[in-house]
Amino acid sequence: MSSSPPPALPGIPRRTLLAASAAGLAVLVAGCTSAPAAGPNAVTTKQEDEFAAQVPVQKALVAAYAAAGAADPALKAAVADLAAQAGEQLTALTAAAPGAAGSARSSSTTSSSAAPSSPAVGPDARAWLRGQVAATATSHATACLGQSGARAALLGSIAAGLRGQDARLA
Amino acid sequence: MSDGVTMGTENAALRNALAAEHVAVWGYGVVGAALGPEGRGRAAAAEDAHRDVRDRLTALLADRKVEPVEEQAAYALPFPILSGVDAAALGVVLEDGAAAAWVRVLDQAAQRSTKELAVGMLSATEIRAVTWRGAAGKKPVTSALPGLPKQ
Repeated sequence: MSSSPPPALPGIPRRTLLAASAAGLAVLVAGCTSAPAAGPNAVTTKQEDEFAAQVPVQKALVAAYAAAGAADPALKAAVADLAAQAGEQLTALTAAAPGAAGSARSSSTTSSSAAPSSPAVGPDARAWLRGQVAATATSHATACLGQSGARAALLGSIAAGLRGQDARLA
Repeated sequence: MSDGVTMGTENAALRNALAAEHVAVWGYGVVGAALGPEGRGRAAAAEDAHRDVRDRLTALLADRKVEPVEEQAAYALPFPILSGVDAAALGVVLEDGAAAAWVRVLDQAAQRSTKELAVGMLSATEIRAVTWRGAAGKKPVTSALPGLPKQ
């Protein structure tokens, strides 16, 4: 008597579930760069602007890592991998919002989230940095809800990555 | 770009997430059995969290009259679990699998409430994954883009 083997664990090792997900998501960033199409699910100008507004939010976090590192050299070494990942997230966001740098369509949202040139680090650089990470995660998670498709997935993923950073900084 | 999201795509992604949650609930039984008392508590907490999500998803799909995904009696392990480090590595695999499923939900969701659920679950999986990566000796312990395919 022979029995069939148990099903493989989805997502292990990035071949089963991940493969299925990858079919739709491997083009996440690239897909976002194409022009919006007409139709009931087309990305609206408002969505584009709100997505683009998350780029300066992430830029501010990258700047916060640099500022915290400058204020506390030991912290800089300890969080170098986190800072690199924040930069990686910024690269992904920027690639998905090619018009973000020059977008001036909207106004309040975009201008209010512009990255500060030199953020002031608090007396406890680690705690201050952790606050910046958490606030950025919340901003991306909130923005994710107003997006759809690949943009929602990317913002949600970045938000989750920053929640993980927050946990590591705790 | 048309996202093409509908209730149909959303429900399919939620079924996919339910399958991943079944796996996580089962897998944490294996993780816990291979860990000492301290780690076992962490595994039990993770198992409870995934069980809660599984039940929530099952109820959500039932409300929508969508057939849920049934759990399997067992799943093939990706590698032998011979030590606590192996168990922690399996925890990473379970959380990464769940993260991929929740990113898929975000990609396919039509309703705001579903996105809210997904982004919360995705964050929770990554927070647990950070702990397991540390226990498994993996570096870095964080992931820049949880749930997304590596570029």
